[in-house]
Amino acid sequence: MRRNIDIAVALGIVVALPLLLSSGSLASEVLIYALAVLGCNLLLGYTGLLSFGQGIFFGLGSYTIGLMLTRTGLPMPLALVASIILGGLAAGLVGIVSIRQKGTYFVMLTLAFAQMFYFLAYSVPSLTGGDNGLLNIPRPPLSAFGVVLWDNTTAWQFYAMVAVIFLLVFVALHRVTTSIFGRTLLAIRDNEVRASAIGYNVPRFKLLAFVLSGAVTALAGALNAMMVGVAPLANAEFHVSEMILVMTVIGGAGNLAASLIGALFYVLAADWLSTLWPRWLMLLGVLLVVISLGMQRGLWGLIEDGFLALTGRFKRTGEIRVEEKQV
Amino acid sequence: MSAEFLLEARQVTKHYGKFVALGGVDLRVRRNTVHSVIGPNGAGKTTLFHMLTGTLGATGGSIAFDGQDVTREPAHVRVRKGMARSFQVTSLFPTLTVRENLRLAAQGVNARRAFNLWRSPQGHWSCAEMVDRVIERLGLRNQERTAAGSLSHGQQRRLEVGMALSAEPKAIFLDEPTSGMGIDDLDDMKTLIADLGRDYTVVLIEHNMGIVMDISHTVTVMQQGRVLVEGTPQSVRDDERVRTAYLGSMITGGRK
Repeated sequence: MRRNIDIAVALGIVVALPLLLSSGSLASEVLIYALAVLGCNLLLGYTGLLSFGQGIFFGLGSYTIGLMLTRTGLPMPLALVASIILGGLAAGLVGIVSIRQKGTYFVMLTLAFAQMFYFLAYSVPSLTGGDNGLLNIPRPPLSAFGVVLWDNTTAWQFYAMVAVIFLLVFVALHRVTTSIFGRTLLAIRDNEVRASAIGYNVPRFKLLAFVLSGAVTALAGALNAMMVGVAPLANAEFHVSEMILVMTVIGGAGNLAASLIGALFYVLAADWLSTLWPRWLMLLGVLLVVISLGMQRGLWGLIEDGFLALTGRFKRTGEIRVEEKQV
Repeated sequence: MSAEFLLEARQVTKHYGKFVALGGVDLRVRRNTVHSVIGPNGAGKTTLFHMLTGTLGATGGSIAFDGQDVTREPAHVRVRKGMARSFQVTSLFPTLTVRENLRLAAQGVNARRAFNLWRSPQGHWSCAEMVDRVIERLGLRNQERTAAGSLSHGQQRRLEVGMALSAEPKAIFLDEPTSGMGIDDLDDMKTLIADLGRDYTVVLIEHNMGIVMDISHTVTVMQQGRVLVEGTPQSVRDDERVRTAYLGSMITGGRK
């Protein structure tokens, strides 16, 4: 039943955002980063892989949609699909090289690829616009056979499209994480050696998770470029990888609704606090320390415990939490 | 390749740089027997196990299983051919339930089916029959919904053996299944292993001589990366070289 709770939470937030926020762009930003965080969570929370390279796929998604919409006549939905496919392929390449390495070395390899991608983007201005980024990316309406189905002119119209995409991806990833494949990923996260000893080809499972993660992250990058009308070099920067990872940890790894909470918290905090106090990132640092020391299930864990305490079911025991509902 | 032996290892060696962990070991395991490998600490028992199950690659020699050469096969491929192992240090999926641990182990034989991104493990995908049988055999019916990490040590050791059982193997490799167990749990484990010897081929590393001498059909004694003696429990117990290797102390226990 927890599965339905997650989807209900996602649906609730998607519907509530337009009621609570005045800016459609801000609301879209929340969902776009939430998509990227879902991708990161699939790796960190479900497979046990810490990737510092998510910015590669985010940036690649931005550039791909930018090129497709400005230089080819490809319809917008197909341009999005192209971004997804390229993101998946790039993740496949990075994954093939990195995935067999364990722990620190895997992290370092993703970091190295992130840096290489940034300088690659910087050094081919004919494709990426270099320092200026790819400018004048349009936000075409969703149309079929010349009939406009959905106009994307206003920020809220665009939000509606992003919201539908987000919910589709959320439900699909939910299905994936509760599937036979997803359950096997949990086993790999828990104990790689044993997973291999009972017959699983561990690197292949990790690679597929990585490809899925890259594809979803590229979709987020593409939507981001459409929203701001630019594919800036900043989208390929290491900072993006870091931000996605921080949102994932703050929300709580290993739960998809937590990813949305993490992105929501980060994006809104950045928006509100940065106007009040330019050094607000320091507060974020404090929060990260608290989460890392004693609240490793993140904000989602806090909400869950709060809910259980309210309904009187909270038990502070040393017992290991059983992973989700078992079949 | 004879049908009499399920497993035949010839001149298996393992070198770590200049250090020779295994210096050419021959081991032949008869079908449907309990074959124990014993020896002092550092004799190379666990290393030999890693070679046989594919956890680590061998430096030299050959390993044949059920008539097929598996020397170069990685661990997950050997599982499909009917090898399953337990670990000396308990190695489970701690946040998953007992049932889920066993289901994953049962499904591992058909690991390719696990690339299904859409179906949840229900119905005939749940391997329920197999899992139920193993839970019954392990006596963990009341704990089936408990996270593996929350079980008592003795229960974890039994689940550890159960992980190997779920794969419906031809041979089960048990690496010190009683390690760290209390006296109360020892008898249960002994009964379990003896019971397994009737349905499967069991290769056992064990320090508890009581168990080894009571339930083994064949005992191989290792010392310094080589086979010292091999024979029935009785002949091994009476062997002078074995007595010297063990300084005459441990081997005396376990007379029926």
